[in-house]
This record gives sequence, C-alpha cells and structure tokens, in this order.
Amino acid sequence: MPQQLSSKDASLFRQVVRYYENKQYKKGIKAAEQILRKTPNHGDTLAMKALIMSNQGQQEEAFALAKEALKNDMKSHICWHVYGLLYRAEKNYEEAIKAYRFALRIEPESQPIQRDLALLQMQMRDYQGYIQSRTTMLQARPAFRQNWTALAIAHHLSGDLEEAEKVLTTYEETLKAPPPLSDMEHSEATLYKNMIIAESGNIEKALEHLESVGHRISDVLAVMEMKADYLLRLGKKEEAADAYTALLERNSENSLYYDGLIKTKDISRDDHKALKELYDSWADKYPRGDAPRRIPLDFLEGDDFKQAADAYLQRMLKKGVPSLFANIKLLYANLSKRDTVQELVEGYVSTPQSNGPADESAAKDHNNVLSSAYYFLAQHYNYHLSRDLSKALHNVEKAIELSPKAVEYQMTKARVWKHYGNLEKAAEEMEKARKMDEKDRHINSKAAKYQLRNNQNDKALDNMSKFTRNETVGGALGDLHEMQCVWYLTEDGEAYLRQRKLGLALKRFHALFNIFDVWQEDQFDFHSFSLRKGMIRAYVDMVRWEDRLREHPFYARIALSAIKAYLLLHDQPDLAYGPLPVTGGNEADEAERKKALKKAKKEQQRLEKAEAEKREAIRKAAANPKSTEGEVKKEDPDPLGNKLVQTQEPLKDALKFLTPLLEYCPNNIEAQCLGFEVHLRRGKYALALKCLAAAHSIDASNPTVHVQLLRFRQALNKLSEPLPPQVAEVVDSEFESLFPKSQNLGEWNTSFLSANKDSVPHKHAYLTCQQLLTPESKPETEKELTLTLDAAIVSLETALAGLDLLGEWGSNQAAKTAYAEKAGRKWPESNLFRLG
Amino acid sequence: MVDILPLSSYPSYIDLLPAIQTCNITNLPENYFLKYYLYHALTWPQLSFVAVVRPRNGYKNGSVAGEYPKVVGYVLAKMEEEPTDGVQHGHITSLSVMRTHRRLGIAERLMRMSQRAMAECHRAQFVSLHVRVSNVAALHLYRDTLGFQVDSVESSYYADGEDAYAMRMDLSNMWLDWAEIERKDRERQASDEKDANEGDEVGEVGKKEDGKEQDKKVRVKVGRSLGVGDLVERNEAQASS
Repeated sequence: MPQQLSSKDASLFRQVVRYYENKQYKKGIKAAEQILRKTPNHGDTLAMKALIMSNQGQQEEAFALAKEALKNDMKSHICWHVYGLLYRAEKNYEEAIKAYRFALRIEPESQPIQRDLALLQMQMRDYQGYIQSRTTMLQARPAFRQNWTALAIAHHLSGDLEEAEKVLTTYEETLKAPPPLSDMEHSEATLYKNMIIAESGNIEKALEHLESVGHRISDVLAVMEMKADYLLRLGKKEEAADAYTALLERNSENSLYYDGLIKTKDISRDDHKALKELYDSWADKYPRGDAPRRIPLDFLEGDDFKQAADAYLQRMLKKGVPSLFANIKLLYANLSKRDTVQELVEGYVSTPQSNGPADESAAKDHNNVLSSAYYFLAQHYNYHLSRDLSKALHNVEKAIELSPKAVEYQMTKARVWKHYGNLEKAAEEMEKARKMDEKDRHINSKAAKYQLRNNQNDKALDNMSKFTRNETVGGALGDLHEMQCVWYLTEDGEAYLRQRKLGLALKRFHALFNIFDVWQEDQFDFHSFSLRKGMIRAYVDMVRWEDRLREHPFYARIALSAIKAYLLLHDQPDLAYGPLPVTGGNEADEAERKKALKKAKKEQQRLEKAEAEKREAIRKAAANPKSTEGEVKKEDPDPLGNKLVQTQEPLKDALKFLTPLLEYCPNNIEAQCLGFEVHLRRGKYALALKCLAAAHSIDASNPTVHVQLLRFRQALNKLSEPLPPQVAEVVDSEFESLFPKSQNLGEWNTSFLSANKDSVPHKHAYLTCQQLLTPESKPETEKELTLTLDAAIVSLETALAGLDLLGEWGSNQAAKTAYAEKAGRKWPESNLFRLG
Repeated sequence: MVDILPLSSYPSYIDLLPAIQTCNITNLPENYFLKYYLYHALTWPQLSFVAVVRPRNGYKNGSVAGEYPKVVGYVLAKMEEEPTDGVQHGHITSLSVMRTHRRLGIAERLMRMSQRAMAECHRAQFVSLHVRVSNVAALHLYRDTLGFQVDSVESSYYADGEDAYAMRMDLSNMWLDWAEIERKDRERQASDEKDANEGDEVGEVGKKEDGKEQDKKVRVKVGRSLGVGDLVERNEAQASS
C-alpha cells in the first residue's frame, strides 16, 4: 500500500513541483528530502526528486531513484510519467513511450501524459499511434484549432491526404465569419490545406481553392509562387506568364522565375534570338540586375556569345565585382566559350588606354578595371579547365601591384600555390591575406582552412580563436563544437587523418556525427511549438527534411572520412598508438616496428598527461566552472580520442557511419566502394557484393570498381571455409552476372585499359589488377606506374594517388623514391612528393 | 549566377539551413546553433531569404530542394516577440554575404525581400537592426541604399566590446490594404449567401472553453525541455480537486 502524505506535506509536495518548474533545483531537492524524512517511501516525492536530479545531470542516480519510486507506488501515474521523462531525457524513446502508456492506463484522462506520448510518437514517426493520440486530444478539447490542425498533420504525414483535408474543412465549417486578416494561424492553415490539395495531385482544385482564398492570405509571395506553379502545371500559359511576370517584378534575381516564364511562352530552347530578347527586356527594366544579363551567356553561341560576353565582362570589371570569375567559370565546360573569354580579357589588359587618361579619376577608374582584369585572369589560369599556373601567378602579381590592399587578390595568390601542390606556401600566403584585414572573419576562416590543409592543426585553432568565445568550456575548440562549426571540425579531422593521428581524427568525426544527432533531436520541441505558432507548412517541411537529414553532403563527407580512418585502423592496428611509419614484413622490420611502437606508446602517454595538466590548470584558473543555467557541463573524459582509437572492433564501429551513409546517399559511388571494403574485411560477402553491384550500376567503368571486381573474385577463391549454402548461391549467381567466371582475367584487364586509355586513374586500376594477377612482375608494374607520370594529362592529384598506390602494393622504398623523385621533377614547386 | 530564394515558405528550401549556418560562422563572429535557425524558419517562415549559386545546368526537377547548392548569403529575420512599446516590428537577426560575392547587390536584395514580407505578412511598423559602428560598408547599405536611420548607439553591444548603431526604418508604406480586402470579402459573401451553419456544436464548445484554456497556456521557450510545466499543472489540478 503506497504511503500517504499529511496535508502539510501534501502542500510541501506541491511546493517541490513548483520549485522544479522554476528550475530551483536545490530548493526542490531540499523540500523533497524534508517530506521523505517523515515518509521515506512516498512514490511521488521520490519520483519528483529523481526528475530534479535528472535535470541536474545526475542521470544514473535519478534512474535508480525513479525505479525505487515505482517499486513503492506502481499505481502512480506520476511515477510512470517521471520514468518516461527520464527515458526521454536519455533519448530512449521506445522505453519512454512504454512508460507513458502505463501512466496513461492509470490516468486515461491526463492531458499532459497524452501530450507527452503524442510528441514522442511524432518524433518516432509512429503515425498510426500519433493519429490515435491526436484524435483523443481533439475529442477532449475540440475548441482548440491547433488540435484540429494537429490531427490533420497526423493524417497528412501518414499519407492519408483525403482525411487530412477533411479534418481541416470540418474545422473551417465551424467558423461563422472569416477570421480577421490579422489571424496568421488561419491564414497559414488555409495555405496548408491548399498544399494538401495540391499534393493529392488535383491541381485544378488547388488552383480553384487558392483563387477563392488567396486574397486573404498574408504570405503574399507564397500565394504568388503557388499560383504560378499551378497555372504552369495546368498549361494555362497566358495566366501563368502573368504570374511569373509578377514574380519577376518582385524579385528579378531568381532564375527559376525566368525558367517558368519561358515555359509559358513556348519559346524553343534553340531560339536564341527570342530568348535573348526576353532577357534583354528584363535587363532594360532592371538595369542593376545580374540574372537577365548573365543567363543568356549560357545559351548564346559564336559571335553572339562573344558580343554578349564582351559587354557583360566589361560591365562587371568596371564595377569591380569580385565574384565575376566564379560567375563565368561555369561556362568553361564549353571549350570555345572558355577560349573566347580568355581572348576577351587578355585583350582588355593588353590594349593600351586610348588618348591617355583624361584626369585623375579616369586614371583611377582605368587602374581599377585593369587590376580587376588581371585578377580575373589570375583566377582563369588557376581554374582546372584553363590552368596555367605560371600565368596565374604572373597575373595575380600584376593585380596586387595595382591594388596592393585587395585581400581577394592575395587570397588568389594563395590558391595558386595550393594548386602548385605547395600547401606550406599556400598557407603562408593566405596568412598574409588574413593580416591585411584582421577584423574580417571570412579571411580568417580561409587562413585557418589553409593551415589545416597543411596539417597545422594547432596554428589553425589559434587563428580561429580570434573569433570564438574562448571562455566556453573547452576554449576555442569547445566553442566551435558548441556552435556546430561543421566545416572546421571536418577539416580538422581530415588533417589528423592525413597525419595518421587516428584518435583525434575519430574524435572529430564522432563529434560531427553527434552534431547530426543533435540536429535530428532539435525537431522535438517544434512538434508542440509549431502548433502554437501555427506555421504549419514550414513545420511539415521541416519534418520531411529531418527524415532525409543525412543525405546532406556534409554528412557524406564526414562518414567517408570516418570509414577511411577505421579501415586504416583495421589494416594497421599499431596506429592505435599513434602515427607510426609503415614497415615491411621481414624480421629486421619487425624489430624496427616494436621499437617504433614502444616509442609511440610513450608519446601517447606523454600527450595524455600534458592534456590532463592543461585541463587542471584551466580548472584552477576558472572561478566558476558551471554554466549559467546551473547545469554542470561535463568534461570530456577522452579529449584525444584514445579510447575511440583503441577499439577492438574498428569495422563494427565503422558501421555507425556507414549504415546511414548507404541508406541516404546510395548514389554516392565512393560510399558504395567503401562499403565494399568494410564488408569484405568483415567477411560479409553478400553485403560486400551488394555494395559492389550498386557501385557498378552507378558507373561500370569506375577504376575502383574495376579493381574491386577482381579482388572480390580472388577473395571468393581464397575462402578459408566455404560460405553457407544459401549465401553461396546468392553470391555466386549475382556475381556471375556482374563478372562471369569464364572470363579471361588478363584479357578483361587489357580491354579495360584500351577502353579508357586517356585516363591515368584507369591506368592505375589496370596496374593494380596486373599486380594482383601477377604479383611476381611487381618491379615491371612499378616501373609502368612511374611512366604514367610522363602523360601530359596526369594531374597533381592523380600523381599523388599513384604514390599512395605504391604504399598499397607494399612496394619498397626504392620504388617509392624513384616515383617521388620523378614526380618532384615534374612539379618542382610542389612539396607533396618529399618523402619524410 | 546567384539566385535569391525564400527560405522556408513556398517553395521551402529548409534543407539549406546547415549551409546557411556555415556561411554565418565563416563570415561573422556572432554564431548560433542550428536550432536557432530552425526557430526563425519555423516561426517566421516568410521573412528569411537565401542567396545560392545556380548549378551549372540549372536545378534538377526545377527545384532547389535536395540539390544543396552553394550558399553565398542569407538574411535571417524575425518579428520582435514582445515589443516593449507594443508596436509590431521586425528585426534583422543576421545578414551576411560571402566576401567573394560582394558588389552584386545581394545584401540589398535580401534585405528588401525581407522588409516587404515583414510589412505584408506581419504589418510591421518598422524594421530594426544592429550594426557595428566600424562596419562602414554595412552602414552605407543600411543608411544610404536602403534608407535606415540611426536610432541610438548601444555601447558595448558586441561581445568584443564594440558599440552598435541601433537602426530602424519605417515599413508602413508597404502594408497591404486590409480595408480593401475586407470590402471585397463582403462582396463575395453577399454573392454566395448559401452555406449558413452546420458544425454549430463545435463552435459553441469552443467559445465556452476558450477563455479558460488561455489562462492555462504555458509559456515555453525553445531550447528548454518540455513536458515539465504540464506535469506541474496536472498535479496542481489534482490537488485542488
């Protein structure tokens, strides 16, 4: 039998609840303890105490206490509700839902419990459960519009558009007069209904509805966009043209509006004259606009292009628009356009000014145009489709000479050095640019990025710290984590990966993974917040976006790098102790290896100790380690990632990154190829084949896929024990269709080479397969690899990949040196081929 | 070329938020976690705009969603939630354009789009913002190009101790003519005078409960954990019954 409270203590209990509500946790605990002194087994009080402790960050103790509370009072909905809230705080939503359900069984009329349950159902995308909860909540309080809207959302997201629309209409019909125009909730709910109608595919009805209600809607732009979209889809071209014209009059810098307008006019894609006229009319109307002048350069050809490009370039150079080249380079896929642009701008800098400068300001203008043109040419010759780095450097020097204070010019100089393959020099030049404008964070960010590319993690952080809030727990790095600075953490992690400092690399990649988790969790509060605010369309879009959050290129990049780190760790377990040099397999090497390992372990301990000391010093210096909200910020127990890197199962850990990657970015060929690598090493042949087949269907002639086909064949031939019969059957039949057994492997490899003879990466793949097929001819294969450096088309990046290939083949130092020296002679400015 | 797009109304390009956050932290010292961007996008979806680089061959399927183009600028805007003087007005939380994409008029266009939406959607009397006193370029944009006026100087407004100009600009000239809309409404209603009632019951219930419920509403700020206030409310209700 649960204990009861005296009336005095019952009122004290209410006080506990109030303290909790006001976040006066210490007082709350004190009052709870006062009750518990007299009534030590009072379930509800124990539960409240647990809840407060949980909010103070004492998760484990809170759970123990909540369990005790339940033991004392299994029939208390408060105990179950708190239990659910604790699970929810731990993000264990399944268990939280169970606990809420228990609470609700005891107290079926409880609105708050019902609401908490509903919120979690939404978070978990349990739409059927959510519909149920929302129906109950609506029945309990039908007067609230948001209860109707919520039920409509539940139906809508579950895919039942008809029911969703019906719910909204039912509510609308209860309104006697149209709500005032200031009623944003109504305005949004109306547009939401229209969105549902359009999604059901009945555009005609959606348009009709929009036309009857649109004039009352305060989101004018949305109504205009929807109307234009519907009209175009319905083929009502004249009206659609008017609608797009109206949109352009509002914002002439949205190319989608021009696209729409052109569709309404039945202008053929090839009718360049008509297209140009249309854009010209808008350029005349909005003389300051860019879009109507720039877009025609995409379709114009020959002399028409030259004329338009000339006008465009001169205009922009006069204005000194720094993004001119970024805007133009997209045209270079067309080589004749590339050459025309080059010719034009070279012409601007080589033509002497006629009649000499009239006055001082004209001279200054001319000077500005000239430096802009040199700047343009520097970027032009720096771009991969028009690269000539010595010309790039020459032009950028000219530009700097004319305008020595232009930060952009100095930035381009750094970029040229990057493309030369001299990351050290690039970082130095970018640092010079930073010093030209120390108050600008953009150039500061760039300088830090270039330092990271040059593997100078500490220097980069030092630069970043000039703009971070360094009083945050963890200093500048802590602030970058807190502010979710994805670009920096990614570059930082990748720099560590290049240095084979896998602990720190993994540390960053896991932190980034957590940021995505936080972004996913972020939606939670909006399940209730957005209903109150009434901005339903944006909310629904957010929910849908959250469902595909990890298809973001940021995620793919993080996951790929993390998987690479884990593969490296699996292949070279010694790296768990630090960045060890690669050694061969013989006995002398083995002794060498042991020595290096010992040294690395020592270094790791030293770093750990140094980090601990640094923290201790900070702790002592800080007067108040608590944040303002009274929550204790926990210190990271593994700042260097040593625990992460000392995993026993690197491949299993890699799955954490790989699984979402394959789910959300299935068309990313690099993802599929890395998936193959992970699964092959795990001995999961069916899964490896699945990735291989997927990669093959994305690009059958991809060099990595070519090598993986052969490696998979060889792996199947070398199995230590046969695959289980069902697996074997599937693998054999599927692989047969991809890579028939009857094929002569030598011929297969040669025909791959001849089909892709103009590509050095394909040659690399061919040579790797040669190496796999005839390991005894390694010296010849190595020589052939070195010869690829003679190809005119080989890029610096590919040449560097060739050097890595020698590492993969386990080639000896002499072969590497020969390759690196040759590459070094080809790219004398680069420091990438210096073997350390 | 650069397109100026709405962020989270129609069409919704809410998947650009991470790139907007990156643009912000690359350019400016005042940074926010993603939830704060979400908060803007979901509370005032009409007010924020974004500038992106149009991909080489345009957008697939005619939509920017799922394409993740490069973000080179944005304006993040809001309505003042509890204006002290009760006057509805908008506020620019953050505006930035990549250094490499300046002088194209992007910031001006972003601002104008946002201002117009503030006036149309929220009948904002004015829009306010803060700018570093040292930021000559921004000051030029706001004062000379857009027509803002310096309202006051707020000393040590920024974390590094720099002062801010508090600026504002009147927006009432862009308001929609509500009287005209209401007149048209009455005309429409007169013309189709057929559907009268049905659903009365629901409406009645609504009236009865409305006032009572309003008092109970719990103010919740984004970022705090929810569920707590409700638990309290329940307990009290139970105790009093």
